[in-house]
Amino acid sequence: MASVPSEALSPLLFDGYDPGNFYDEMFSRRGYPRAHYQKIFQKLAAVAPPHFEERRHLADLSFLLQGITFTVYSDGRGTERLFPFDLIPRILPNSEWRRIERGLSQRVIALNLFLQDIYGPQRILHDREIPRSLIYSCRHFHREMIGVDVPHGIYTHICGIDLIRDSKTGEFLILEDNVRTPSGISYVLENRIVMTRTFPDAFQAYEVLPINHYPAELSRILRSLSPRGTTDAQTVLLTPGIYNSAYFEHSFLAQQMGVELVEGRDLVVDGCIVYMKTIRGLKRVDVIYRRVDDEFLDPLAFREDSMLGVPGLMGAYRAGNVALANAVGNGVADDKAVYAYVPKFIKYYLGEDPILKSVDTHLCSQPEDLSYVLDHLPELVVKAVGESGGYGMLIGPASDRATIETFRERIKADPRNYIAQPVIGLSRVPSYDPATQRMGARHVDLRPYCLYDGEKVTIVPGGLTRVALKPGSLVVNSSQGGGSKDTWVLRGEN
Amino acid sequence: MLSRIADSLFWLARYMERAEDTARILDVNYHMLLEQSQQTYRLRWEPLVIMAGEEKRFRETYEEANAETVFEFLAFRQDNPNSIVQCIAKARENARTIRDRISREMWEDINGLYFMLNRFNPEEEIAAGPHRFCDAIKFGSHRFHGVTDATLPHDEGWQFLRVGWSLERAEMTARLVDVQYQNLLDTTSMANVADNHQWMAVLKSVGAYEAYHRQHHSPIEPERVAEMLILHPQHPRSIRFSATEVQGGLRAISGTGSGSYATEAERMTGKLLEGLRYDRIDEIFKRGLHSYLHELLRMFRLIGTDIERKYFYYGAVA
Repeated sequence: MASVPSEALSPLLFDGYDPGNFYDEMFSRRGYPRAHYQKIFQKLAAVAPPHFEERRHLADLSFLLQGITFTVYSDGRGTERLFPFDLIPRILPNSEWRRIERGLSQRVIALNLFLQDIYGPQRILHDREIPRSLIYSCRHFHREMIGVDVPHGIYTHICGIDLIRDSKTGEFLILEDNVRTPSGISYVLENRIVMTRTFPDAFQAYEVLPINHYPAELSRILRSLSPRGTTDAQTVLLTPGIYNSAYFEHSFLAQQMGVELVEGRDLVVDGCIVYMKTIRGLKRVDVIYRRVDDEFLDPLAFREDSMLGVPGLMGAYRAGNVALANAVGNGVADDKAVYAYVPKFIKYYLGEDPILKSVDTHLCSQPEDLSYVLDHLPELVVKAVGESGGYGMLIGPASDRATIETFRERIKADPRNYIAQPVIGLSRVPSYDPATQRMGARHVDLRPYCLYDGEKVTIVPGGLTRVALKPGSLVVNSSQGGGSKDTWVLRGEN
Repeated sequence: MLSRIADSLFWLARYMERAEDTARILDVNYHMLLEQSQQTYRLRWEPLVIMAGEEKRFRETYEEANAETVFEFLAFRQDNPNSIVQCIAKARENARTIRDRISREMWEDINGLYFMLNRFNPEEEIAAGPHRFCDAIKFGSHRFHGVTDATLPHDEGWQFLRVGWSLERAEMTARLVDVQYQNLLDTTSMANVADNHQWMAVLKSVGAYEAYHRQHHSPIEPERVAEMLILHPQHPRSIRFSATEVQGGLRAISGTGSGSYATEAERMTGKLLEGLRYDRIDEIFKRGLHSYLHELLRMFRLIGTDIERKYFYYGAVA
C-alpha cells in the first residue's frame, strides 16, 4: 500500500508531529505512516481534538469507576491512582509477532531447564559454563530448593519478559526476564475492553487477535499442577493483601479464574498439608498461585518476621503436597548478572541460537569489564543485579556528576552487585498529550505474558505496552509517570 | 466460604449499620433541640455519647456536650473508632478485601460513598448542622441495602451480611431505649413537655413516628414507645424484628430447622426471642426496663462472640 503524506490530509491531532531521531513505530519518516498503521492513522486524523478529548474522558471514567487503580504511598496514607491509559494502540504485524513469540518460547524453555538444572544436577556448573560463585552469590538463589521435586518439573509457569526495540535498528531485544511474580496482565485485559468500547470503529478496520483466553489458560495450567489430580483441585491465589500495589490485579484474576483469593492468615499447614480456613472448617489446598515474594512465603524457612506468609508452607511444598506457581527460587534467573548468560543457556540446553538478542551486558564482577565500566559511567546504564521495577539504577547520560560518583563508589565496594549496559534509545509511538491536545512521540517497551505448561509456551498476542508519558522520558514505570497502551497483534500484516 | 470473607461480610454490614444508626440519632436529636429551651440542653446531647459507648473518650476531648462537639465527635473524629467517618472507612476496607466476592455494583457503591464522605468539610458541616450530612449517610446506607439485595446472590455470604446488620441494629435500639429511658426517669418531674418531645425524637430516629400514630391514635406514652421499639413484630428496627432476622440468618447458614439449634449463638437467639415474643410491656416494666435491656445487650454480645468463635476464628487448627 502506498503511503500518503500527512500534510495532504492536514490532520489536526498530528499537527507538528515529529518522529525525531528515534525509531518511530507509526511513521517510517515524517508524514509517512507505516503500512500497518495506515488505517488507524486515517481514522485518528479524522477525529477533531475535542472529540478525542471526550473519548479519552470516557475511558478514564470507566477505569475510575471500576477502581482499576494502583496505590502510591508517598503521602503516608496510600493514595489510589489511575494507571494512565493512552488511547493510541501499539500495532504489531503478524510476522513480527510470530518471531517474538518463537523467541520468547525458546527463552522460557531454556530458563526453565536452567532452573531445573541449578536446583538439580547442576550440570551447567560442572561444565563450567557459568561460574559457580556467580550462582551461589545470587541474593535470590535458595539452597532450600536444591533437590526439591517440583510438579512436572515446571518452575516458570508465568513469565513477563520485558522487550525493548532498539532505536537504531528497530529490532526487539530482551531487557529483563521477570520469572518471579510479574504483574500487569490485568491492565492488558482491561485496556482491551475499554479500547473496544471507546474506539469500536478502529477494530472493524483491523483484524486484531483476541487475548481474553488468558485467565482460562492460566487456570488450566494451575489445575494441572495439583498433586491430587485435577478434578477436584482446590486452587487459590495468595495475595499480600489490600495494601499491595497490585491488589486490584490479584482480585481481578481470582474473580476471572473463579478461584479463592486468600491471604497468608487464611491458610494453615498441618502435617505438611496446606488447608484454608472456611466457615465449615479446614479445606485442603492443592495449588497456590502466589503473588507473595519468596522471602515472605514462609517465616519458618525465610524471613521470620513475615506476616504475609504461611508457617510450614515450604515443608508442604517439599513434601509434594502442594504446588506453587511460580516455583520458589526463580529469582536466580532474574539476577541481572545471570541475564548475561541466558544466550549461553539457550545454546547449552537447546543447542539453538537465540532468536531474540539480549542487551550487551558488562559484569562488574569481572575485572576487565569493571575497569571499562568505571571509565565509561556517563555513557552507561548501571543496574543493581537483584532489583526490579527501576530501583537501584543509574542512567549515565541523564545523571549529574555527584550521582555518578556515588555509583562509582558503590560499584567499587561491591562489584558483584552491579552490571552495566549501553543506553538503548527505546522506540517511540505517538501518544496523546493532554497539555497540547496533540500527538507527541513517546518511548515504549513491551511485556508479553508467557504461560508454560511443561510442553508448550502460550503467549497471549501482544502484552502490556508501557509508555513514558512525560516528553523525553525513558522511564515507563507507573510510579514515575508511566502509562500503558492497548497492544494489537494483527491476524495479517496490516 | 473462607472464614475471613464471612468475617469481612459480617463487619462490613455492622459498620454500615452503625454509621446509619449514629446518623439517625444525631439528626433527630438536633431537630428536637431546635424546638427546645436551653434548660434541658445538656441532657439532650450527653445520652448520645453514652449510647455510642464512648463517654470516656469524649470527656478526654471536650469539656461540654453540645450540638457542635457531639456532632463533631460522632461524625468526624478520626480518633473515635465509632465515628461515622471511621465506620464508613472500615466498611469500605472490609469490602475492599473481599471485592472479588461481592458484586461490582456493591463495591462501586461503597467506594462512592467513601469518596463522597471525604469531600465533606467538617467545619462547614458543623456550622450548617447535621441534617445534610446525616441524610447523605442514611441514604448511602439505604442504597447499600438496595444494591446488595438486588445484586448479590442470597447465599450464605448474604446471610452473614444479614446477621451483621440485624445484630448491630438490635443492639443499637436496645441502647437507645435504655439510655433515653434512664435519662427521662431522672427528669420527668421537671420537664413534662420535654419528655414528650424526647420520645418523639426517639421514635423519629428509628423511623417509627408515623407507625406509632397509626397504631395508637393517642399522645405519646413512654411505655407504648418502649413497647414498639422492643416488642413490635413487624417494625424493621424493633429489637424483636432484628433478633428474628439474626435467627433467620444463623439458621440459613447452619441449615437448622425451627425448634432446634446447631450453635450456641442460635440457642441464645432462640431463647431471647421466646422472651420477646411472649413478654408484655407491663411485665417488662415491673421487672425493671433497665435490667431487662441490659440482659438483652449481654446476650447480643455473647451471640456475636459465638459467631466469631464458630465461623471466623482462625487462630488454631481445628
